[in-house]
Amino acid sequence: MTSGPGDPQLSRDAAGNGSGDLIDAVVMLCRDLRDRGVSVTPSESIDAARTLGHVDLGDRDEVRLALRTVLVSRREDFEAFDAAFDAAWRLPGGMAAPIPMPHLRADVRRPSNQPPKKNAPVSLQNWMKPNDGTSADDPIKVRAASDRESLGERDFSVYSADDAEEFRRLARQIARRLALRKGRRWKVAHRGERFDLRRTVRASLRTGGDAIHIVRRTRKLRRTRLVALCDVSGSMELYARFLLQFLHALQNTFARVETFAFATRLSQITGHLRGLKYRESLIGLGRDVRDWSGGTRIGVSVREFVDRHAELIDRRTIVLIMSDGWDVGDPQLLADAMRDLARRAGRVIWLNPLMGAPDYTPDTRGMQAALPHVDVMAPGHNIESLRAVARYLSL
Amino acid sequence: MNDDIRRIQEIMEREAYITDRQIATSVFLATALGKPLLVEGHPGVGKTEIAKVLARMQSADLIRLQCYEGLDATTALYEWNYPRQLLHIKLEEHSSTSLADREATLFSDAFLLKRPLLAAITHLGTPPVLLIDEVDRSDEEFEAFLLEVLSDFQVTIPEIGTIKAEHRPLVVLTSNRTRELSEALRRRCLYLWIDYPSFEKELRIVRSKVPGLSEQLARDVTALLQSLRRMRLSKLPGVAESLDWAAALVALHAVHLDEEIIRDTMGCFLKDDADFQVLERELANGHLAALTSVAI
Repeated sequence: MTSGPGDPQLSRDAAGNGSGDLIDAVVMLCRDLRDRGVSVTPSESIDAARTLGHVDLGDRDEVRLALRTVLVSRREDFEAFDAAFDAAWRLPGGMAAPIPMPHLRADVRRPSNQPPKKNAPVSLQNWMKPNDGTSADDPIKVRAASDRESLGERDFSVYSADDAEEFRRLARQIARRLALRKGRRWKVAHRGERFDLRRTVRASLRTGGDAIHIVRRTRKLRRTRLVALCDVSGSMELYARFLLQFLHALQNTFARVETFAFATRLSQITGHLRGLKYRESLIGLGRDVRDWSGGTRIGVSVREFVDRHAELIDRRTIVLIMSDGWDVGDPQLLADAMRDLARRAGRVIWLNPLMGAPDYTPDTRGMQAALPHVDVMAPGHNIESLRAVARYLSL
Repeated sequence: MNDDIRRIQEIMEREAYITDRQIATSVFLATALGKPLLVEGHPGVGKTEIAKVLARMQSADLIRLQCYEGLDATTALYEWNYPRQLLHIKLEEHSSTSLADREATLFSDAFLLKRPLLAAITHLGTPPVLLIDEVDRSDEEFEAFLLEVLSDFQVTIPEIGTIKAEHRPLVVLTSNRTRELSEALRRRCLYLWIDYPSFEKELRIVRSKVPGLSEQLARDVTALLQSLRRMRLSKLPGVAESLDWAAALVALHAVHLDEEIIRDTMGCFLKDDADFQVLERELANGHLAALTSVAI
């Protein structure tokens, strides 16, 4: 039943329905999807065209479900797909072929590898400019940046964007802590470090007393997962850019990390960070995270995390929340969400960059609501403070 | 509607898998385009069942690879049967066969332990259905290895050579989303998201799987479960839980739902002490009628 792109069945079907329009419509749908931040590979476009040879083109819903199966690969993109499909696929009274909409044709001619300008938040664009962390009236800028000690203590708000290596080093340290901690229990393992005499002798009974099957054992590994929720609202802007760079480094050093950004709502950004250069990540984030530098609704965001991503949280999960605690939402909502989170996670750590200031007290309503459910509250305003937190990052 | 899709929907329903258009369309495309199908959804919505029904539909064998942390290529692909090889060497110690012959025998099919992936590739006859269950539990390294196997369905065993599948097996992968799967793997697959079923669909499932249940009780059970899924629970009950509960009610000869029988049996569908308390509170506040009414 398998058929290739040049398959006769497809050309026959497609020709019967005016192949030009059909293929056009698919191509445009794919372009529109890319503009909406859903990545579509050429091979998926080809599969989409092949799909049309297999479905009832007069049945709009069937076309939609079939194309969605082929073109979308995660549930989060369903909404974007349905919107794009609605725009591209109109079926005026009884016509069997879809009519590509002219406005769309004009719209999608934009080169799709560049983010639509109007969507990228201004602040994110600034982040891509090199080294604007030290402003003219900043006394700290005279310090030598090569001095690791002073670099580590410097507040992120006066940080230079070129210090990425520092983040990578820290990420590696943390990854080592998180990675493979040997547990207490033993298990049988081919390349175990200890000889398991009991099992070996037992196994040798099957082979007439000759120890053919040698059994070894090793300590079971304990695996920890890290979930980071980073506040990217306006008030956190100075810090978020560096915390994000740190998370980017961490995401690419250690596999069991899931990263989320939130301001008024929650976005999973693991895919935006993993395997990409930091700069590419920022482009992707600017395109897909809509509420960047907006207000903060921590409670709603934590709630959404607990409800929608319950499968990520268990006793072996460390949740790292990075936020200044300025919440415009209902404190009770935040308290409830934090309670549920704390009940299920192995550890909840709250990094508050404002704690870097000597006279800071956590008396915002948001902080007050969250504090009872936080295991560790620590500053996260410079490299040194992140390094200090690293020791809480193993269970 | 495409006749094939309708047919698949009918056959699936005949196999007691209550389905909807999205599921039937995706399953049809997986067979038509010959691509792996990645199925995601909450626990207990029938992801694994799709592969089983697909195998029955095609009268094909089902080969299952259950993923877990630490699953590696030897467990998934093949391994030599060392004990048997060693015994064979002992037996052959005094025979006159040449060394080359002995070695050829030693590394032949007879001493090869086929694990699920190799079994699927070397399977003869009707292409089997290969179920790669809970792929999110495996490690990244294994996922990369899987990607390689799924792209050309061939493996190389140094002692034997390259083995290529004559007919590509139909592959179904399931994931509970405990970990984000790699983009590359997602791209390779068709994608199906199974949500919690609607009231009507779940009612049909309950009716067909638990025949002894009265019509009213089936409606009440389904409605209550649907209400629970809208509440803030730490573990939402899936369809599997509805069925467990329905079966329990049949076993207890329950005629209708009252607070007492719910309290006695709520362990069937709630798996967390805090969730028990939530439901207790609802019942104490006299919300039973509201919970079992069908929301529109």
